[in-house]
Amino acid sequence: MSSQQFSFAARNSLTLAVAVFVVAAVVLPWVGAGPISLARVLRHEAPDYEILVQLRISRTLLALVAGGALSLAGALFQAMLRDALATPYTLGISAGASLGAVAVIAAGWESFLGIPVTWLGALAGAFGVLALVIGGAFRRRQISAFSLLLTGIAINSVCAAFIIILSSFAGMSRSFSIARWLIGSVDATSYGSLGAFSVVVFLTAIVILSQARSWNLLAVGERWAASRGVSVGTLLGTGYVAGSVLVAGAIALTGPIGFVGLIVPHLVRSRVSPDHRVLMPCVFFYGGALLAFCDALGRIVLPPAEIPAGAVLAIIGGPYLVWVIRQRVPAEEV
Amino acid sequence: MIDNVGFSYSERAVLRSVTLSAGEGEFLALLGTNGSGKSTLLDIVSAFRKAEKGSVTIAGRDQQLWSRREMSQRVSHLPQSVHADLPFTAEQLVAMGRYPHTDRWFESDEDHRCIRQAMERTRCWEQRDRVFGSLSGGERQRVLLAACLAQSASILLLDEPSTFLDIEQQLHCFTLLREEARTGKLCVAVTHDLNLALTYCTRLIVLAEGVVAHDIPTPRAHENQEWLALFSSRLSMGSTPAGTPWIWYR
Repeated sequence: MSSQQFSFAARNSLTLAVAVFVVAAVVLPWVGAGPISLARVLRHEAPDYEILVQLRISRTLLALVAGGALSLAGALFQAMLRDALATPYTLGISAGASLGAVAVIAAGWESFLGIPVTWLGALAGAFGVLALVIGGAFRRRQISAFSLLLTGIAINSVCAAFIIILSSFAGMSRSFSIARWLIGSVDATSYGSLGAFSVVVFLTAIVILSQARSWNLLAVGERWAASRGVSVGTLLGTGYVAGSVLVAGAIALTGPIGFVGLIVPHLVRSRVSPDHRVLMPCVFFYGGALLAFCDALGRIVLPPAEIPAGAVLAIIGGPYLVWVIRQRVPAEEV
Repeated sequence: MIDNVGFSYSERAVLRSVTLSAGEGEFLALLGTNGSGKSTLLDIVSAFRKAEKGSVTIAGRDQQLWSRREMSQRVSHLPQSVHADLPFTAEQLVAMGRYPHTDRWFESDEDHRCIRQAMERTRCWEQRDRVFGSLSGGERQRVLLAACLAQSASILLLDEPSTFLDIEQQLHCFTLLREEARTGKLCVAVTHDLNLALTYCTRLIVLAEGVVAHDIPTPRAHENQEWLALFSSRLSMGSTPAGTPWIWYR
């Protein structure tokens, strides 16, 4: 395949992914329990205008950006750990964010300077774990995927234990709030928060995508990457911090929705390309579209009740994970 | 040039003091029993591991002074094994050898020419669109070797390059490496096949007890056969009808 042919195929894949993302952004805000009249919206008439602009659009945009961020983090961690089953959960960031959010819910705190305290708790928990994992995984000023993975697993277990303890002492109503938060859902948010989150995701995604060739090398092996010009320790550290920023921001706003970070990289890898120069941008756009689709689906399945996007994703993601495991044939058996 | 290099894993000193120099056009066989530090030495020369003592000089300059990228433009390393279950196609994997030479997002036509040439030389061009994980062990090894050749480095460090290869492919692999050496490159191959080493390499470097126990030009390998005893007491050396040293088992 010539470079022109390859670039053409890559451009087609990227164009399709962007088109799906844009179609999701335009169409999904119109999907919900009640119909919205375009004419009334154009005349700024209540309640259609408010429902669309204040609720549905911000909610859809949040799902698009958070889904993209979590999927990109999933693809990143899968490359870093050379583990096709790695998710944003795997390295402990999600568990840290959950523990932080659960702690503030259990304490009964609601908002600080107008900002929901669950956001602050999730961010504090995520970055606390980030510091712990980086500290624990560094050895002789070196870091390896193996030490990152083991440290992440250990921190996951500790955080899970504390979440159970906090839930059991939180009382009935707060325990329910904790359980609801832990499922993960997309709710309407202010455009200010959405804007700040989008800027962070955009800048972090640029950092990650700029290293796409290095993620290809690292996905093969650390020795392989090192002898092709990659400073492995620095790259792993950069990837871990960048992935953690994406996960922490997304989870603070949506709760832990990890499956999107597993499903989408797998789909794109098998259907589009395993090359991270193509895979990562496609994963972002398809991941965003999938989470927004699940959120929209959750709004219309059992109206007027809403199924959280995290639950819809888990219902789709669980069987998919089983299918993935059944499809995986170890190379040695080929 | 490797000078007084030492390295240990925890308390176990694998390399105590290795000193060795080699130049362009040489094809070195790095020999030794399991655990003698052959792979570790390649890791140190390729800068994947840092020596605890001593220094490595490449092209007249201390290894530490080369940037990672500069190193990878000069030194290519074939690891003993890679994760077999990779999703990349054979061609995508070989293309990774070109990364140190370009800042382009995708490979240029010149890169594609190098990739094709390397794959044809290692006889894996036909498998270019197959997923690496679906290849046989020997096919995978040829793809990895092609990736090393595509890197266009002047020093090739190869950790057991003939692993998984059938006899014809082993001979082809070592012939290829000898050709590379004859074009002015330095090839260093770890191998346990002493006859391949004797047939194709210009020097035998035997590691034992953390030092270079023997450094023998291949044509003189039969003069003093002490080095053979380091591998097994059941080995003897004779010669082929063509006069090449040949090792057989008692």
